[in-house]
Amino acid sequence: MRKFAGFAALLALAACGRIGSDEPTEAQRGDGTDAVELAEFPDRPYWGDTHLHTDISVDAFGFGVRLGPEEALRFARGEEITATTGMSAQLDRPLDFLVISDHSDGMGATRRLYDAPRMMVRDPTLRRWYDMMHESPEQSTRAVAELITAAANGDIPEAMRDTEAQAKATRELWDRHLDTLDRYNEPGKFTAFAGFEWTLMPNGNNLHRVVMFRDGSARTRQVLPYPGIDGEVTGLWDYMDAYEETTQGKVLAIPHNSNLSNGMMFELTGPDGGAMSAQYARRRAAREPVVEATQIKGDSETHPFLSPNDEFAGYGVAGWELGNLPLTERSTPDMYAGSYARSALLRGLTLEEQLGVNPYAFGMIGSTDSHTALATGDEDNFFGKHTGVEPREGRAMEGQNLGTRQGRFGWHYLAGGYAAAWARGNTRAEIFDAFMRREVYATTGPRMVLRLFAGFDLAEDDWDGDWVRAGYTRGVPMGGVLDDTGRAPTFLISALKDPEGANLDRVQVVKGWVDANGEAREKVFDVAWSAREMDGASDSPVPPVGDTVDRAKATYENSIGAPELRATWTDPEYREGQRAFYYVRVLEIPTPSWVLFDAVRFGLKLPTNVIEANVMQERAYSSPVWLRPAHEPQTTPGDAPAIMEGA
Amino acid sequence: MIREALRDPLAHFLIAGAAIWGVLALAGDPVDPAGRSIELSREKQAGLALRFERMMGRAPTDAELDAQIANWVREEILYREALRLGLDDGDPLVRRRLAAKMDELAAAQAEMVRPDEETLRDWYRDNGGQFETGGVLNFEQAWYPSEEAALAAKSEERPRGEPISLPRTVVRNSPDEIAKLFGSDFAQEVTALRSGPGWQGPVRSGYGWHLVHLYQREEGRIPPFEEVREAVERDWRSRTIQARREKAYQLLRDAYEIDIE
Repeated sequence: MRKFAGFAALLALAACGRIGSDEPTEAQRGDGTDAVELAEFPDRPYWGDTHLHTDISVDAFGFGVRLGPEEALRFARGEEITATTGMSAQLDRPLDFLVISDHSDGMGATRRLYDAPRMMVRDPTLRRWYDMMHESPEQSTRAVAELITAAANGDIPEAMRDTEAQAKATRELWDRHLDTLDRYNEPGKFTAFAGFEWTLMPNGNNLHRVVMFRDGSARTRQVLPYPGIDGEVTGLWDYMDAYEETTQGKVLAIPHNSNLSNGMMFELTGPDGGAMSAQYARRRAAREPVVEATQIKGDSETHPFLSPNDEFAGYGVAGWELGNLPLTERSTPDMYAGSYARSALLRGLTLEEQLGVNPYAFGMIGSTDSHTALATGDEDNFFGKHTGVEPREGRAMEGQNLGTRQGRFGWHYLAGGYAAAWARGNTRAEIFDAFMRREVYATTGPRMVLRLFAGFDLAEDDWDGDWVRAGYTRGVPMGGVLDDTGRAPTFLISALKDPEGANLDRVQVVKGWVDANGEAREKVFDVAWSAREMDGASDSPVPPVGDTVDRAKATYENSIGAPELRATWTDPEYREGQRAFYYVRVLEIPTPSWVLFDAVRFGLKLPTNVIEANVMQERAYSSPVWLRPAHEPQTTPGDAPAIMEGA
Repeated sequence: MIREALRDPLAHFLIAGAAIWGVLALAGDPVDPAGRSIELSREKQAGLALRFERMMGRAPTDAELDAQIANWVREEILYREALRLGLDDGDPLVRRRLAAKMDELAAAQAEMVRPDEETLRDWYRDNGGQFETGGVLNFEQAWYPSEEAALAAKSEERPRGEPISLPRTVVRNSPDEIAKLFGSDFAQEVTALRSGPGWQGPVRSGYGWHLVHLYQREEGRIPPFEEVREAVERDWRSRTIQARREKAYQLLRDAYEIDIE
């Protein structure tokens, strides 16, 4: 009897301790407004990862990670960390911000299952997974693969679907997590965002979103992460609406891995298969201003089937194009247009003509989706998609299917991308607002500095003066919208290489438009390139930059390419009244991928096709600038107040 | 002395624990596993409704609240049955969980305490070195695509450099910030330059070659207490948590005789 009384007292005391516990400083807890001095204009890109999993994620834990949010934050800030498998790991350059995005479904559940007394695990499936998780890392990985497949097929054991029980367990975890984030959030130095991943996956088709909050714990504590399985995207938006209404805070959602959605991420129809309503389109545009276009599980910019005239299409497509996330359903080419970002931007234009609002007016970022708690995006320090594939000899050539079917191998995985945000300072508010106005861009890892301004009065001689001021005062930055004035828009584009990385091959403008027949069209223009032998014909494509990669040593030379490429480009095919978007793609010279670094590290002998597939041109994608017929009511979130008042 | 002891979070911890224990002993234990009556007060129901509201951003419907309550009752019954079966006894998980909770309690107590001014000043005096801000540099740079071009321009009074989208003037940047702009080799080399009126270099970066006019170097300093008060408190708190946890354990540990064969 005494024993139980003591037990209860302990629990009661624990509750008191939490309620009264002191919190981090006011500045760390807030959104950073007034915490630091802001630049007049966004003066540098801030680098971050918006998509990182830790041991709170149901799958990451099962895959073996034993590092939590604290380690993830310390690693992102540049500290040396011991990875789960025992290697020490450190970023050569710290990140500026991080969104920890653990799955909301079953948050902490595998950890709880793993920690539970075996006799309490009654469900036969859960008990089998429990045993597998305790048996060995390989079995643990297999258990999680089964779990993901079960989730995809909608037959998760009842015990794991009980959202109310989950919510209860999640409350404690979420509160503690928010405190940790605040402690590591240091306005001006490093920004820690609260967030989670919402994991909607009908029939295994990936409709996942990362949800990112602008606010500190005073507001985010008022909600819990919203579960995704069995849900609908409008339910997520309801949740976001409710959050903003209740707390006066702000929140956005970032779709990702559209490449694994079998055409469902960017449909022409509404979610029920009927015509898309203007209201649905408006909500989508307002809630989802940015798409994650590149990450470890492949690149979603475009597919060679969709862009046959784009010789650089197809980066990070191999393996991923075969089917949906668990490979339970194969992809067919008719699905691709709903799976890739460029075709989605085109669909957005078409839908805007019909509905008066563009549901797919999104900017683009990259991130990792790493499940190791380590936000590694570079080729020479790739710590793997999850803990089971942290650096070791076999990982490049092994089959790495989440499900049990064939088709995807270790070498299909990319090292992951990063997100760059043009902001006036490093705070939650400034970086979040940059996402809202789409002044962000994607890279496949290298930290290239990409600037883009568009306007009708910009010209070549702006480069001689303060061209950044010219861009902001007489034009719009990436993510902005221009209203047609009857003149062709001019673009000022500057791409600087990563100071620690490879030179640049070329800068391209990708234009999408709806032609007079209502047909969506696309074209890629080379607008700047490094010096090379040209073959003379003025309309011939720019020849390849060359290739300095030493396959055996995983090295390259910056003897080709350029450190910076600039362009002043006026659309030569402009037609008045045409609805269009323009985004910039920057290509590096060819470099070796992580697979070749692995081959050197472990003395592997790789097949020739694998080696050649892993000499690649890494790249950056800007968010688009849209050109909209004059006198059209403003409907996209890019019309949020510009950063400059009185500009 | 007693007053000081009363401010000690560990004392709070023990006193609060004793008080709750006492109250429970008098009032009777609400989770007596032998008891087969479960009461769900209005207050507790309101708590369930609130939890739902925090999750969904709206109040539960009657049906939803009923489901919450049924769920709570189910859990309560299973919990009591588990206690009755002695499932908590000798279970390594329950053992580990409770131990972790005790640890956390000690830490949470330290988190609650507001240190007084004197404590923080003492902490600052003893640990001030770690609040030192790194040095910052102020410089102008001119970029050239080749070493030869940079060398040729060095004799100019004010080298203009070739056009590139890098800042001409870098103001009050730490070596880390400089590394983000120009790469780490450049940051290292520039940090090693002497400050003065002339142009130095060329210094190599990821972009090419730079002539550098390092006109001012501001050395790192230990800011006065008032400027870093928050950081001192944060540091005091995080390091105190660990110490409290250890102290709380030691206190308990001292009451045991341990024999490891």
